[in-house]
Amino acid sequence: MDQPEEDNERVPLFGKWSYWYALVIGFLVFCIAVFYFLTKHFS
Amino acid sequence: MSWTDWIVLALTLTLIIAYGLYKGRASKDLDGYFLSNRTVPWYMVLLGVMGTQASAVTFLSAPGQGYTDGMRFVQYYFGLPLAMVVLCISFVPVFHRLKVYTAYEYLEQRFDLKTRTLTSFLFLLQRGLSTGISISAPSIILSSLLGWDLLWTTIIMGGLVIVYTVTGGSKAVAYTQQLQMIIIFAGMTIAGYIVIHRLPRGVGWSEILHSGGKAGKLNIITTGFKKGRFDWNDRYNLLSGIIGGFFLQLSYFGADQSQVGRYLTARSVSESRLGLLLNGLVKVPMQFLILLLGVMVFVFYGFNREPLFFNQSQLKLLEHSKYKDSLSTLTERYDAVEAQRLVAIRSPDSAGWPYAIVDPTLIESRVAAIAHEKAGYKATVKRWLDDKAVGGDSNDTNYIFLRFVTDHLPVGLVGLLIAVIFLAAWGSIAATLNSLASCTIVDFHKRFSSAPLDERREYRLSQLYTLFWGIFCIAGAQLAYRLGNSLIEAVNVLGSLFYGVILGVFLVAFYRRRVGGSAVFISALITQTGIIVLNVLNKKGIVSLSFLWFNLVGAVGVVVLSELLQPLMRPQKQ
Repeated sequence: MDQPEEDNERVPLFGKWSYWYALVIGFLVFCIAVFYFLTKHFS
Repeated sequence: MSWTDWIVLALTLTLIIAYGLYKGRASKDLDGYFLSNRTVPWYMVLLGVMGTQASAVTFLSAPGQGYTDGMRFVQYYFGLPLAMVVLCISFVPVFHRLKVYTAYEYLEQRFDLKTRTLTSFLFLLQRGLSTGISISAPSIILSSLLGWDLLWTTIIMGGLVIVYTVTGGSKAVAYTQQLQMIIIFAGMTIAGYIVIHRLPRGVGWSEILHSGGKAGKLNIITTGFKKGRFDWNDRYNLLSGIIGGFFLQLSYFGADQSQVGRYLTARSVSESRLGLLLNGLVKVPMQFLILLLGVMVFVFYGFNREPLFFNQSQLKLLEHSKYKDSLSTLTERYDAVEAQRLVAIRSPDSAGWPYAIVDPTLIESRVAAIAHEKAGYKATVKRWLDDKAVGGDSNDTNYIFLRFVTDHLPVGLVGLLIAVIFLAAWGSIAATLNSLASCTIVDFHKRFSSAPLDERREYRLSQLYTLFWGIFCIAGAQLAYRLGNSLIEAVNVLGSLFYGVILGVFLVAFYRRRVGGSAVFISALITQTGIIVLNVLNKKGIVSLSFLWFNLVGAVGVVVLSELLQPLMRPQKQ
């Protein structure tokens, strides 16, 4: 998923965009897991 | 509404218009008018894409959805973070590198003029029609709930936004969206605080979640499987949210100029990416909280008198129908059972705690029969409204939150929350008008006109096209009123009819390098016709497929068909 940094600018915080992508996907998985827990626990 | 509410409403709306006019005054050329001279930072990209996606209906309908159907609607947004990642990898760098004004400009460079023109035309058709509906939906809700004149509500909803959008272009859109989103978040947070504050002693987060869960409102994750088989007509489940939602959001953010125009204004690829990725991070939790607000309102009405029907104008309609006498009797009975229920629920024990908290099982057995009777009365009202002789609107979902606001929020906050509805509508409409004008001038006027345009004339024409689309959308809103009950659903279905095909063209452009313009053009035409036929068959009940899947069918249809057609075409010019 690595891309050449077309605009030659620094990637904020993590240094690589692929880490940002992993964070976004990981956070989605985390949200789904929390929602699943809430659904099971309170239903 | 009190005078204080009117003043808060008027001041908030005036502030936004004045701020938009002030911030947009420097945009005097095409680059400034449509792309803010590509100077926008990441946080404005974030608020811009959020403000464009979140229309007035989002803040009216979503809490109502949480109230009636529960929280499973949040799954609709599961595909969004994935779409943001794909956009940042493929779409954003290409659009920035080519310095395009519209997404469709790229398609001429990659394919040919006819493909660019077709996709831009499909966008104008879909967006032009759906924006009229986006103006009319909140106007209907506000006018029926507050007794405002529908024409004037529509003019304020769709007309005032034209003032700063025509004058200031994308800079005015971006800066006002920033302020609008701050006011919207503040308003919704205050509303949430007040719901909790108004609940009886001892009812907190835990009780809200337990009560909501028991009532089936915390159905956040659903599989879509019924009796061991996947229900393709089920709109909101994990699979349709991730797969169907992914294609819908990728089409919307990657191929709809109202969104592309937001992140093209960023000062660099990095700023665009950061804004979009943060949108991918915050969107799902934000929708979750808006739906949770609906569940909180549901629990609130567990301890307070719930109206027989939230949309009062529909009860007035019944009062002038053949059901007049029956409604009077039914209202008396409903009030009686609701009073009984409240006594049972609120009766305190020796320590002053409501029984509902002390012993929920006891209270459940006491109110179960009452709740059943109450549900029967509500169903009867809906049946009467569905009677063709009455011609009413039995869908009460969109009125729940605003009715709660007007009945239970303190003076001043009612005005602020109604301003939130206007601002949410304006944020979305302003971005759309700007994008419709940019496509009209860049993809059609400039592309097909032989007469050269100087900078000043381009700027003037851009303003005129924005004004034209503004008037067109308000006129469209007047026509949309005839759609009646199916208004909001129509926006979603209309988008899904065209988005898939447009996305398919972009996917071929990015990922299938050997496919040329003619193959993708013919594929797009065939698939678009197929989608429209599929929609007709769906309506007739011959096939059963939720509209969310149309995006997938459209996109995959164009990709597969163009691959099959390419060998039959003449080789591409290198």
